[in-house]
Amino acid sequence: MPQASQSARPERQGYVLLAPALIVYLLFAVYPMIDVVRMSFSSWNGLSPGANFVGLANYRAIFTQDPVFWGALRNTIWWTALAVTLPNLVSFGLALALNQNIPGKSGLRVVFYLPVIIASIAVATIWKWMYDPFFGLFNNLLMQFGLDGWILDWLGDRKVALWSVFVAHLWQSVGFSMVLFLAGLQGVSATLVEAARIDGAGRWGVFRYVTLPALKPTLMVVFVLSLINSLKAFDIVYGMTGGGPAQSTQMLAMWAYTQSMQLGVFGRGAAVSVVLLLITLVIVLPYIRWMFRREEMSR
Amino acid sequence: MTLFSQAFRPVGSAKVDPVLIALWVSLILLALIWITPFVFIVFTALKSNATVMGASAFMPPTELAFENFAAAWWRGNFSTTAFNGVVITVIKVPLGLFISAMAAYALAKVPMRMNKALFALFLFGTMLPFQVMLAPIFRQVNAFGLINTYPGIILPYLAFGIPYQVFILYCFFSAVPKELSEAARIDGASHFTIFRRIFLPISLPVLSALLILDFVATWNEFAMALVILQDPKMWTLPLGLMSFQSQFSSDYGELNAATIMTVLPAAIVYLMFQRYFVAGLTSGAVKE
Amino acid sequence: MTMTKGLISAVSALAVSACLTAGPAAAGEVKIWTLTFDNNSANLAWDKTIKEFEAANPGITVTREGRSVDEHKAALRVAAQSSQGPDIYFMWAGLGLGGEFVKAGLSKPLDAYYQQYDWDKRIVGTAGSFSKLYEGGRHGVPYTFHGEAIYYNKSLFQKAGIAELPKSYDELKAVAAKLKEAGIMPMTFGGTVNWHLMRLMDVILEAKCGAEKHDQLMDMKLDWGTEACATASFNELADWSQNYILKPFMGIDNSQSFNLFLANRAAMMVEGDWLVGQLSDAKKIDNFDLFPVPTGTDRLYGFAEYLYVSSKSRNPDEAAKFLDYLLSDKVQQENLGAFGSISVNSNVKYSKISALDQKWLDIFGEYTKIYVNGDQAFPLDVTTEYWRVINEVASGNIKAGDAGKTLQTFISNRG
Repeated sequence: MPQASQSARPERQGYVLLAPALIVYLLFAVYPMIDVVRMSFSSWNGLSPGANFVGLANYRAIFTQDPVFWGALRNTIWWTALAVTLPNLVSFGLALALNQNIPGKSGLRVVFYLPVIIASIAVATIWKWMYDPFFGLFNNLLMQFGLDGWILDWLGDRKVALWSVFVAHLWQSVGFSMVLFLAGLQGVSATLVEAARIDGAGRWGVFRYVTLPALKPTLMVVFVLSLINSLKAFDIVYGMTGGGPAQSTQMLAMWAYTQSMQLGVFGRGAAVSVVLLLITLVIVLPYIRWMFRREEMSR
Repeated sequence: MTLFSQAFRPVGSAKVDPVLIALWVSLILLALIWITPFVFIVFTALKSNATVMGASAFMPPTELAFENFAAAWWRGNFSTTAFNGVVITVIKVPLGLFISAMAAYALAKVPMRMNKALFALFLFGTMLPFQVMLAPIFRQVNAFGLINTYPGIILPYLAFGIPYQVFILYCFFSAVPKELSEAARIDGASHFTIFRRIFLPISLPVLSALLILDFVATWNEFAMALVILQDPKMWTLPLGLMSFQSQFSSDYGELNAATIMTVLPAAIVYLMFQRYFVAGLTSGAVKE
Repeated sequence: MTMTKGLISAVSALAVSACLTAGPAAAGEVKIWTLTFDNNSANLAWDKTIKEFEAANPGITVTREGRSVDEHKAALRVAAQSSQGPDIYFMWAGLGLGGEFVKAGLSKPLDAYYQQYDWDKRIVGTAGSFSKLYEGGRHGVPYTFHGEAIYYNKSLFQKAGIAELPKSYDELKAVAAKLKEAGIMPMTFGGTVNWHLMRLMDVILEAKCGAEKHDQLMDMKLDWGTEACATASFNELADWSQNYILKPFMGIDNSQSFNLFLANRAAMMVEGDWLVGQLSDAKKIDNFDLFPVPTGTDRLYGFAEYLYVSSKSRNPDEAAKFLDYLLSDKVQQENLGAFGSISVNSNVKYSKISALDQKWLDIFGEYTKIYVNGDQAFPLDVTTEYWRVINEVASGNIKAGDAGKTLQTFISNRG
C-alpha cells in the first residue's frame, strides 16, 4: 500500500509540471488541426451562424473547379524542391569554405547569417523595392550596363515572378543552413582527416571519405528543416506579390488563407489546408519516427 | 599582420595554399553581394522622393533626408507597433520557455506511464507548420473571444513554440546523469524542488540560447499576427510594415526608412548575442 | 510553492492584459472603421469632425481606425465573426461588396433613424438610392458619391497634336494611337492591386456591350462565354495592354502608377474624382484635365461609398447621432472637397472651387445614371476570378477569345 502511494505521488507531480504546456499545445495547436479536417467537410461562409455538412464537395471543388489550386500545388512543389536543394548547396559550399584556415571568418559568417534574423516581411519589402521596374536596383543596373533588353517586370511577369521571390528566399535562408553545416563540420574528427591525408588522400578524397560520411546526420536535419520551412512559405510571397500576377505565384498555404479569411469560403480553404497537411505528414512522419527511435536508443 | 601570417595554410602545412586564397576572394565578393540589399535600402531611406525618381539608384544620397525616418515613424504608427511587439515578446518568450522546461523535465525525469506517447505528441508538433491552419487557429482564438488581444496572440504563439523547446530541453535533461536527481529524491525533495533547484540552474545556457532565438522569431512573426491582430492598435512591427507598404508604396524614401526601423531591433540583438544564436540553433538540431 | 506562484503570476499577467484590451466598451463609445484615404485632407477632415462632435456631445467618444483597401475588407470579414467589430463601418454601396455584408447580417437596418433625423430631406437622391437596394430595410447612409473619368496630361496631349477630346470609344482608341505615334505612352495602370486595371475592363464592357447587356453580365444572367460583346471587350483589353499601357504595369501598384503619371511618363489615367485632391496636394493640378470615359451610353462610371451601422454595435443610437452630425449641412459645407468633390448633402453650396472640381460638378449634373465598378457588382469569389482573368488576358496568357469562357466556367461552377 504505502509503496503504491509513493509511486503515484511523483507521477502526479509530473503531470502537474506537464499540464500548462500540454493544455496550451492541445488547445491551440492540436485542436485547430482537428478542426480544419472537420471544416473541410462542411460549408461555412464565415458570416452565418452555423456550418452544414457537405461531404466531399469541397475536395471535389478544389480538385476539379478551382482555377488556382493546381497552379498553387505546382508552385508549392517546385518551390519546395528548389528550396531544399539550391540554398543548401550554397550553404554547404559556404560552410566548407568558412571551415578553412582563412582570415575574417567570423565577420563573413555574420554577413551571411544577418538576413536570417530579419523578418520575412521586411525581406519582402526590401526585395520588392530592388525589383521595382522603374526605380529599383536591378533594372537600374541593367540600364547602366546597357543591357536594356534584359530589363524585366520582375514581380509582374508570371514567367519570372515566382523565381524572383525565390531569389529573395535564397538570400534569406542560406545563412540558416550554413550555421547548421558549420556545426556539423566541427564534429568531423580532425585526427581522421589527418590520418586520411597521411594515407595520401587528396582534397576530394578527404571530403568524400571522411567529411561527407561524418556529416550525414546534419544533412538529414538540414534537409527536413528546410523542407518544413519551404512548405510554410507564406510571409515572403504575401509581402512580395500577394499571389499575383493573376495568381501565378500562389502557394497552397496562402491559397488556404485567401479562401478562408479573404473570400470567406472556409470549407474550401480548409480542404486546401488538409491537402497541404497531408503532404507535410507524409514527408515528416518517417523523420519523426527516426528521431524518436534515436532518442529511445540514446536513453 | 599576425592574422595573415598564419592564414591560407591548410592544417599541418606551412605553405600558403593558392586555392584557399582564391576561395577567400570569392567569399569576399559573395559577401559584398550579400550586403548590397542593406546598402541599397539605407541609401534609398536617406533620399527624397524626387532624388529616388530622378537620380541613379545606386548613387549614394547627397543630401541626407533624415526626415524620412521621422515621417515614417509617425505615419507608420511605430510607437504603437513597437510597444505591442515588446509586450508580446516580453510575456511570451520567458513564459513559453518556463512551461516548456517544466514539461521537458517531467517527460525526461519523472517516471510516468504515458511518457513515451506524450513525448511523441510533442515531437509531432515540432514539424507542424501553423501557416497551414491559419483559419482554424483564428476560429479557436475567436471562440475564446480573444481576437485583437495580447492573450489571443500569445496563446497560439506558445502552442506552436512549445514542441520545439520541449524537444530540445528534453534532450538536454535526458543527458543529465541520474545520480544528480536521485540523490535529491532520496533526501525527500519533490520534483518541483529538484526542477527549480537543480535542473533550471544547470540549463541556463540552453535556456538563454533558446531565449534569444525565440525572441527574434516572436518579434518577426507575421502570418499568425495577420489573422489574429486585426486592430491597428494591436499590430506588431511586421504588420505595421506590411500596411505601410500597401498604403505608401510610392513614398520610396519613407518606405525604406520604415523597413530599416522594423529590422533594426532584431539585427542589434543578433549582433550583440551572436554566440547564442549558433548555440541555440545547433544544441538541439544537430545532436550527436 | 514558488513554482505555483510563478504560474499564478504568469496566468494573472495574461488575465490582466486581457482586461486591458478586451474590456467592455465604455458607455457611449463609437468605433468607426474606414479606409486610410489617399487624399490626406479627407483624413484630416475626419479627425476634425470627430473632435467637434465629441466636444458637442460629452459622454460619447468616437475613434476611427483607417486601413488600406484590401486590409479593410479582410478585417471586416473577421469582424463579422467576432465581437470585436466596429460600430460604424465604411463599405461600398451596391449588391456586390456592400450587399454581402448586409446579407450576412452585419448591417443594422436604419429605417427608424432615417425617420428620426429625416435624412432623406437633405441627401442627394441618387446617392441615397443605394440604401434601398437591400432586403429587410434601409441600410447605411451615403458618405460619398464618386465618379471615375479619364484624367489627361495637357502638355502631352498638345505635344501629340490632339486638339479634340474623344467623343466615342473609337475616337479614344485613335487618340491613344496618335499619342503612341508621338512617342508618348497613352495610359498607365498598376497591376498588383487588381482593381486598378479592372477599371479599363469595366469601361470597355460599357462601351462594347451597352448599358443593358453590361448589367446583365455583371448580374451573371448573361453567358460570358457566348456573349459576343464580352469577347470583343476582352479583345480590346488585350489590345490596350499590348500597345497602349505604360509597361511594365503588372509589377507596380496604383500609387506607383500615379507617380509615373505625375512624372509625365504616360498621358492618361482612369481615376476617380478624389484624384483632384491628390493632384493639388502634389501641386501639379494645372497640368491636368479630365473627361468622362466616352462609352457611348448615358451612364457615368462611378459608385457610392456608404457608412453602415453594425448590427453588433452596442451603441447604435450614438452611432446614428454621429452619422447625423457628419451628414449635417454644416459639416458637409465646411469639409467640401475633403470627403469628395461633391457632397451627398443637397443643401451644400458650391463656390470658389478649383476648375477640375467644377468639371466634376458639371459631370455629376449631366448624368443621372451610373454603372459601378466590377468588384462592387460581383460577389467576392467571382471578383477574384474576374481579376485573375483580366490579368491573364493583359499579360497574354489567356487568349482574349477564351477569357469569357474561363470566367463563365467559374460562374457556372458556383451553382
